[in-house]
This record gives sequence, C-alpha cells and structure tokens, in this order.
Amino acid sequence: MSKLKRILNSRQMVTFVWIAGVIVIWEIFAFIVAATKRTPVNVLPHLWQIISSFFSDNKVSGEMTMAQLIGSSCRETLLRAGLGFAIGTAAGFLLALCMSLSGIVEKIAFPYLMIIQMIPILGMAPIILAVTGDINISRIIIAAILTFYPVSTNILAGFKAVEREKHELMYSYAANKLQLYTKTLIPACIPYFFTGLKISAPMAITASILVDTLQGGNGLGCMLSQSLKGGMTRLVFWNIVLISAMIGILSFVVMGLIEKILTPYKRKGG
Amino acid sequence: MNMKKIRRRISGFALPFAFGVLLVILWQTQALHMWMGTDTITLPLPTRIGEIISANFATISGHIRITVIVALGGLVVGSVLGYAIALVATVFSKWGAGGLTIISAFNAIPIVALAPVVNNWTRDISTDVSLRSTVAKILVVTISCTASMSVNAFRGLTELKPFSEDLMKSYGAKKITVFTKLRLPNSVPYIFTALRVSVPASVIGALVTEYFAEETVGVGRQIRENIVKGQYPTAWAYITVACAIGIIMFTLLMLAERLLLKRRRAQ
Amino acid sequence: MNERNDYTGNTEIMLDNIGMTYKTDDNKDVTALTSVSLDIQKGEFISLLGPSGCGKTTLLRIIADLLTPTQGTITVGGETPRAARLAQRYGIVFQSAVLYDWRTVKKNVMLPLEIMHIPKAEREERAEKMLELVGLSDFANHYPNQLSGGMQQRVGIARALAIRPEILLMDEPFSALDEFTREKLHIDLLKIWRKTNKTIVFVTHNIQESVFLSDRVCVLSPHPGRLSAVVDIDLPRLRTMELKNTPEFTALVAKVRGSFEGV
Repeated sequence: MSKLKRILNSRQMVTFVWIAGVIVIWEIFAFIVAATKRTPVNVLPHLWQIISSFFSDNKVSGEMTMAQLIGSSCRETLLRAGLGFAIGTAAGFLLALCMSLSGIVEKIAFPYLMIIQMIPILGMAPIILAVTGDINISRIIIAAILTFYPVSTNILAGFKAVEREKHELMYSYAANKLQLYTKTLIPACIPYFFTGLKISAPMAITASILVDTLQGGNGLGCMLSQSLKGGMTRLVFWNIVLISAMIGILSFVVMGLIEKILTPYKRKGG
Repeated sequence: MNMKKIRRRISGFALPFAFGVLLVILWQTQALHMWMGTDTITLPLPTRIGEIISANFATISGHIRITVIVALGGLVVGSVLGYAIALVATVFSKWGAGGLTIISAFNAIPIVALAPVVNNWTRDISTDVSLRSTVAKILVVTISCTASMSVNAFRGLTELKPFSEDLMKSYGAKKITVFTKLRLPNSVPYIFTALRVSVPASVIGALVTEYFAEETVGVGRQIRENIVKGQYPTAWAYITVACAIGIIMFTLLMLAERLLLKRRRAQ
Repeated sequence: MNERNDYTGNTEIMLDNIGMTYKTDDNKDVTALTSVSLDIQKGEFISLLGPSGCGKTTLLRIIADLLTPTQGTITVGGETPRAARLAQRYGIVFQSAVLYDWRTVKKNVMLPLEIMHIPKAEREERAEKMLELVGLSDFANHYPNQLSGGMQQRVGIARALAIRPEILLMDEPFSALDEFTREKLHIDLLKIWRKTNKTIVFVTHNIQESVFLSDRVCVLSPHPGRLSAVVDIDLPRLRTMELKNTPEFTALVAKVRGSFEGV
C-alpha cells in the first residue's frame, strides 16, 4: 500500500499525469473541431490520426511514406542545425576565452554581445540568405549566431565566478597561464557552459527549420511550408509540428544528460 | 572619483564605440563588400539605408506600429498569464512544479511550427482579416512569453530567504499574509529575469509570425516581401528598424529594472 | 617537556618595518598596516591575532607574495617572497577549503603536484601519504561535496602539505567550523606540525585558539593596523585538551587579551 502511495507521489507520476492531461485536452478539442469544422484536419486532427499517418504505408511524397519523408527531412534539418550549433559553440568558447585573457577584447566585445541578444536574428534570416546566396550556408550561419552568444556569455560568467582563492592558490603554486586555464578555469565553467548549450540547442533547431521555410529543397521547414500550401497532405504538417516539438525538447534533455555524465561530482551520495 | 575610475569608464565606452565606427567605415567604403564578395544592392551602404528610412518614414512607422502592438500585446498577455500560472502552481506546489516542467517544454516548440497552427485556429473568430490576423499573431507571441515568466515567477514565489517563512509563522501570519508580505515582493526581481528573456523573444516572435500571417503587414513581413521582390535596400531598412525596436524595448526594460530595483540592489 | 628539537636559531621570515597603504576609489589613503617588524624562526608556530581590520590577513598575504608592501622589506629564507613562491616554498590554507569540486579528494591533493610536473607514480604516492597524515585515506575517491566541513578543511591541509613546503600559511582555517570539530583539528594540526617540522603562520581572531596552538602570539591592533605586542606562550609543547583547564593557560589568555590597544 505504501509502495503504491510512493509511486503515486513520485515526480515521474506528476509529470505523467500532466502529459496525460495535455493529451486529454487535445482530444476533447479535436472532437469538438471534428464535429463543428468543415476541414478538421486543418484545425486540430486527432492525435491518433497523426500517429497512424506516420506509420502508414501510403505514399505522401513521390515514393516516400510519411515515416521515410519525416525521417529524411529530420536528418537534413538536424545535420545543418548540428553543424551550426558546433561552429557557434566553438566560436562562443573562443570569444569567451579571448575576453577573459584580454581586458581590451572584453571591453570591445561585451556591448556587442548584449546587442546581439536584443536584436531579432531570426527575423534577419531572409537577408542573410540573400547576402550569402546559399541556403545551407545561411542556415548554418544563423544557427551559429544563435548558439554563439548564450555560450559565450555563460562561459564568461563561469570564468568570472571562480573564487579569488582559487586564483591565489594557482598563483602560489607558480602555475602558468595555460595551467590556470586547463586546471582551474575551464573545468570550473563546465556547468555554465551547459547552461548556455541548453538555451541554444533548441534555438539552433528552430533556426534551421525557419530557414528551411524560406526556400525549396528538403528539411523539415520545406515540407512544412509545402504541406501548408497544399502540396502534400495536411498530416505532414501535423507530423512536423509534433516532431519539431519533440526534437526541440529532446535537444534540451540531451544536453542535460551529457552534462550529468560529464559532472559526476554534482551527484550527491554514492 | 579618481582618475583611474574615470579612465576605466571612458575606455569601457570608447573602445566598443570606436569598433562600431570602424565597422561602419568598412561598410561605407565597401571594404566589407569586397571581403564578403557581395555588392551594394544586396548589402546597401549605411547612408542609403538611412535615406530609405527617412524617405518612407510614414509607411515604415505604420508597420512599426503593427509589429510593436503584436510584440507588446503578446508580451503583456503572456507575462500576466505566466504569473497567474505561477501563482496557481505555488498554491498547489507539488502538482504545480510538474506542470511547469510541461510548460517549459512548450518553450522548446519551434515558433515556426506554432504560427501556422494558431493561424488556423483563429480563422473563424472574425470576418475582419486584420483583426483575426492580429489576434493570431498576439496569441503566438503570448505562448512564447508565458513559459519564461511562469518558471521564473514560480521560483521567485517559492525560493524564499531561509527562515523568512518560519519568521512569518512565528508572528502567527496567515497564508495570505505570507503571500502578500513575503512571496509577492520576493518574486519581483524574478519577474525581471523573465522579462530579460521574453522581451527579445516577443520581438522575434512578432517578426516571425508575420511571415505566416494572413495579412502582409508588419516589419518582419516587409523584410520578407521586399526580398522576394528583390528590393534589398528596402529590406535592409526594415531590418534596421527591427533591430532598433529590439534594442529600444530592451533598453526600456533595463531602465525600468534599475528604477524599480534600485533600493533592493543598494541593500 | 619540549618534544621537538629546539629551533635551529635560523630566521625563516624577516619582516622589517612593513607598511601597507591603499588608495580608495575617492582617492583617500587608507593605512592597513604600519611599521611591523618581526622575525619568524624556522619551525616555529606563530599566530597573527587580532580583530577584523587589524591587517593580520594583509600581513599573511604580504608573506605569501599575494600583496607587495608599500613600505619596508621582507625576506623569506634570505630571498624575496616572490623567489620563495616560485620555489614553491609556501603551502596556503584558506578560511574555506577551496577544493575543486570536480576532482576527487585524492586528485585535489595531487593538483599542485601536477602543476609541478611531478611524475604520476610519485604524485599518487605523495597524495596517499598526505591523506594518511590527515586521516582521510578512506575518502580518497570521494568528491568534496560528500565530505563534512571539517573533512574538507583536512583535505585543504593535505593539499597544502603535498608540495612539501617549508612554510605553511593558514588564514583563519578553522573559523567556519563548529567548536567540537575545531578542537579536534587543533590537536591534529599540532600532531602534523610535530611530524613535519614546518614553519606555520596562523591567522586567527580567536584568542584561545592562538594561545593553544602557538609558540608565540603576535597581537595586532586596528586603526591603523599595527603589531602591538608579541606574547611568548611558554606552555609545555605536548598540548592536550586538558591544558585549557589549567591556570597557566587561563593566565596567558588573559595576558594576550590585555595587550590589545584601542579595540
């Protein structure tokens, strides 16, 4: 009995009930929509309609079934988002390093990092496409810019959060700059680094999908706009909505998992 | 103030300013174009952008008004809604915390997927295209602003200073008093933390939903329309305006924060 | 009575007329320390005692080469503090243990040895020895956040000793611990000191602690920070808890307390 109570009170149970609640609400509205609207699939289809269309053998585009289509466009989008994310992370890390090494670089770059945060980079997507002339390059550039500043500002904050005593300790050991960074500052900023990554991973994916919608080709965004224009069944659109929500959430969860693996010291007990 | 402090202040301002001036000079003298391998049509000179903005100011300000209404409308509704959710979650804290995880998961849904869905939902609320399109856009911005406010406000309402709740209880304070005297004031700095995220998000949300909206108005839609038409200089004028909206809204937020939290910071 | 050998008579640290003046933001001079002259013997346990603002930590930081005095001269083993630091003759223990939370206890102790490029086998051996000395061998593979405050501070001491410094500089190392843990660490520190023969400079604001641990207590008074008295603690060197109940101990505590000026 008490075991059952513990399960009912656990955090997983709370989350599970909430997810179930969301599904129930979705379905209630889907039934209302189905009863009242002329084209319910445009407004809110049933979840089972979306899921069964994903596993159905019907061809939705050329020779591809829904699962194949979504799978291949997902791969395209994730690859590009991932490449931009990696470039942005590396650039963000390098800039934070330069800013921490040189006061002049910090003074020059810091206000611009703040400004990048204020201006709507995503809104600039069409013009970046126009300037570069290549959809793949602009996708990577935008994902990189969006990744770059959360990583950079968070790592810099991590460097600054290292206590004065740790600097003094390294100084008393007569450690050189390289040792100061490799032994103290860089390991100390890892939790901050992941705070940045958790913000930027879903952003990189959003950016990649948005840039997809600007031009033909492949990728989740292209399929999404084609489906909206009536080029394919509306269920493609709904599949993409669910899948993009899932990979957005998943990217956040994966960053959290990697962080947990890399920082065993944060786990208590054991 | 001594010399050292003054010098530090000046270099903190002068260095980035000089860098900005250098960038504009490189741009104006087309050195930037050579390096990027582009031309003055795709990347017009700063003076040309300025000319376009001043020549078309009446049209542009009309689009600014539309975008700002959407951004602010969504921001206000989303933040109020987010705070309300946080209040409810605080009262039922065990279930509330779980619900907030779900809400923050919504935040990871790409706005590009959200905008067309909402457009479909609002199709029947009015025969007036402009009205239903505005409602749809505000709704999207609302959704993208709710999560950060509810998560942060919940933290502000629940993460109290150690022993402060015990102290209130020792005075025999009622639950409602603990709320008004302790939880609400404690949540104020957290509101600003949330707004620092959601103010830029509201501007981005407004621009991006305009791409998918029925009506072809607003700064974001104009960027896209002008690019489609090949009018790059005009598109750049709208981009400049979009950046200005973002910067001004964020600066206003910082000023408000400084004003309201001045006494707290000093403590 | 004295368990240890008498001092060799060599001066380890020589402070001559040391002064330290800061400039504040509004261009005013603040004197943190003025005309401190003191000789610290090799192998001596000396305390710098005083209320906050008396400059005791400033003095320790001057010895450690973390600050350069604006007046006077200081030599450490006949060299400048900088030379002594570069020769890694200092081990420092701070008020908090300042452990690296991503390193296990043993790896924390090995950190300074890595910086000194000591071969891995020797690093391991030395770290294990140090952990044995502070009684934490069983916790070598734990992370710092799994240890109590007292244990963390022991790791800090082991890490400071791992580089085999001649001088151990301790800046209020036990002030954040509870009384019971502190008393136990006092006994342990004295044991470690006897075994290793280090010169220890110990900063504290606790009169009893300074009397219990030291050979000599340097009393510093504030406004401006200055050395107002040096009290010899002629208690038997093998010190036990019971010593604190003796009239001699109480008399010395009273004597030290009486030597403060203008507090």
